[in-house]
Amino acid sequence: MWSFSNISDNIHDWLSANFNATWTLIIEMVIAGTLVIGLFAMLGLILVIMERKVSAWMQIRLGPNRVGPKGMLQSMADTIKLMVKEGMTPNGADKIMFNLAPFVAMIVAMLLLAPIAFAENFQLWDLNIGVLYITAVSSIMVISILMAGWASNNKYSLLGAMRSGAQIVSYELSAGLSILAIIVLTGSLQVSEIIESQRNGWWLFKGHIPAIIAFVIFIIAVTAETNRAPFDLAEAESELTAGFHTEYSGMKFALFFLAEYVNVFIVCGLGATIFLGGWMPLHIGNWTGFNNAMDYIPSSLWFFGKTFFLIFVIMWFRWSFPRLRIDQLLNLEWKYLLPISMVNLLLVTLMAIMGWHF
Amino acid sequence: MNGSSIIFYLVAALTLVCAVLSVSTRHIFRAAIYLLFTLIGIAGIYFWLDYQFIAAVQIVVYVGGIVVLIIFSIFLTQQAGEKLAKQKIGRKIFSALAVFCAFALTMLQIYQHDFVETSAPHIGNTVKDIGGQMLSTGENGYALPFEVVSMLLLAAMIGCIVIALRSKPEPK
Amino acid sequence: MSVGKYIKDVWGAVRSLGRGMKRTLYYFTHHKEIITQQYPDNRETLNLPERFKGEVVMPHDEKNEHRCTGCQACELACPNGTIKVVTRFDMIDGKKKKAIDKLVYHLELCTMCNLCIEACPSDAIKMAQTFEHSVFDRNKLTKILNNPGSKIMDGVE
Repeated sequence: MWSFSNISDNIHDWLSANFNATWTLIIEMVIAGTLVIGLFAMLGLILVIMERKVSAWMQIRLGPNRVGPKGMLQSMADTIKLMVKEGMTPNGADKIMFNLAPFVAMIVAMLLLAPIAFAENFQLWDLNIGVLYITAVSSIMVISILMAGWASNNKYSLLGAMRSGAQIVSYELSAGLSILAIIVLTGSLQVSEIIESQRNGWWLFKGHIPAIIAFVIFIIAVTAETNRAPFDLAEAESELTAGFHTEYSGMKFALFFLAEYVNVFIVCGLGATIFLGGWMPLHIGNWTGFNNAMDYIPSSLWFFGKTFFLIFVIMWFRWSFPRLRIDQLLNLEWKYLLPISMVNLLLVTLMAIMGWHF
Repeated sequence: MNGSSIIFYLVAALTLVCAVLSVSTRHIFRAAIYLLFTLIGIAGIYFWLDYQFIAAVQIVVYVGGIVVLIIFSIFLTQQAGEKLAKQKIGRKIFSALAVFCAFALTMLQIYQHDFVETSAPHIGNTVKDIGGQMLSTGENGYALPFEVVSMLLLAAMIGCIVIALRSKPEPK
Repeated sequence: MSVGKYIKDVWGAVRSLGRGMKRTLYYFTHHKEIITQQYPDNRETLNLPERFKGEVVMPHDEKNEHRCTGCQACELACPNGTIKVVTRFDMIDGKKKKAIDKLVYHLELCTMCNLCIEACPSDAIKMAQTFEHSVFDRNKLTKILNNPGSKIMDGVE
């Protein structure tokens, strides 16, 4: 049957037969890098048009409808526009840092893709600390925002960067705690083991109410971590023009923009992996017939379906809720999400010890 | 020289160059960023050594915590675009000498010490092994230090709360 | 803050957020009812809201008569000097009578605030719903509202 893992195995076999080990590794790395960059470009194009269509339909508008059939080529036109624009560097800016910041954002997004399992046996790097790796590396993201904010030498950028720093540092806690709630149940940080543990049902359903609470907190926290509305204080248009990327233009701005969407994809992929079983089809306990029927849908479709559903939920938040003030934002985290997720973690631990989960 | 050692030398060169840049630049923010790259380079070396947990902790603690803290204090105290004052040449020479001496001492110690291969059983580097070791009370167990450190952190947290707690005005 | 109030707070927040999301989901799934207009396509059948204000005009009847007495109330009411009333004195039955020579209207300055229309005691001016105002020469935006040779309607004081 056609699947990603078969294709990658075939390529690996063919390369091993024709080249020595080092060259095989190098060629595979080049292929993986190209695929990652290609995935980024595709994600940028798809998510931008998706965001615009979703927002338009939620606001009873039509959305882009001129370029291509039903406006589907609009993001292509936007890309061309951004590419031919001049990339300005302001005179008072710290030039090295200013030009480095978008690339740091992009490289971090690329690093984060490594442990995501896109389909059965199709993963770049199944490292032992998979989930911890994602939470660790995603904290470098804030550095690129702080770099951009400081190097622009602009008060809006600086304010946006500081807000974003405070926001990401605080919401990392509850995101981490809600991930931890599921890690307590799986007993492993490795992505492949987390997915394997959901063979008889997704953790969202197996973990009773605490898993659902953890899931809700996770979604709220990652929305804040990726700086998306209603937590987009870092780039609040009405107050800070565009926050940390006020001074950016052309392709450098596009990299920030792309990094935001790729990060949304990654955190949604992580959420899908941990709570919704990653590429694992919908299985219910011992219903063998039902489980076998579900297995006919390819695993990559399951993964992308779940991920895009979560992306849709995050977009849904964005176009439903007004932006929070900075004090409300920090109150929400420190007075509500963090205590609730800590109590929730205790509950899950109790549940795991007593073996109450399925 | 195989691929693995090439990667090691690249990461080590990045770490060293960034470390030198971070003490030689006159922009304080750039110094913080170069420090960040140095720390990421060290995390990269941990990854190269296959100690993934330590690498991730290195990134969480140093990059996500300490460098962000440093950058925030720069944001709150410094003016953007200003350079630090130039140091006197004597001071530069003195600090270079001090660094060289410390480096020489370390290298001397490393070369003079003869490392013996232990016959003790190899402890795995997975999270499970590290966690088990951290909470074990048996041989080479780290339960006591772990608890002491958590007490210390608890004390620090309570201290923070006490400092941050705004005292209520006296009821009149 | 008591635990009960805390839980009630959280519950209330979740419920109200859910209500908001239900509303947007309703709009999302019913995307046939569109409120925006496909402007250049539906130029003939354009459906403008009643209170849309495009520019100040002075209606004239078929005898080329308007209702403006030249009282300059609109000029005084205008916050940014958009209207300039140039008056002259007509000799009617040996008496001098004030009348307008020109009512100059600078469209490029106008903010469509409607104050002149409310100030006008004789309802001589009103807001039109035209909006395609772009021209290549800025001078074309300075308009004279009364038609050449027009005069005041009988009975308007």
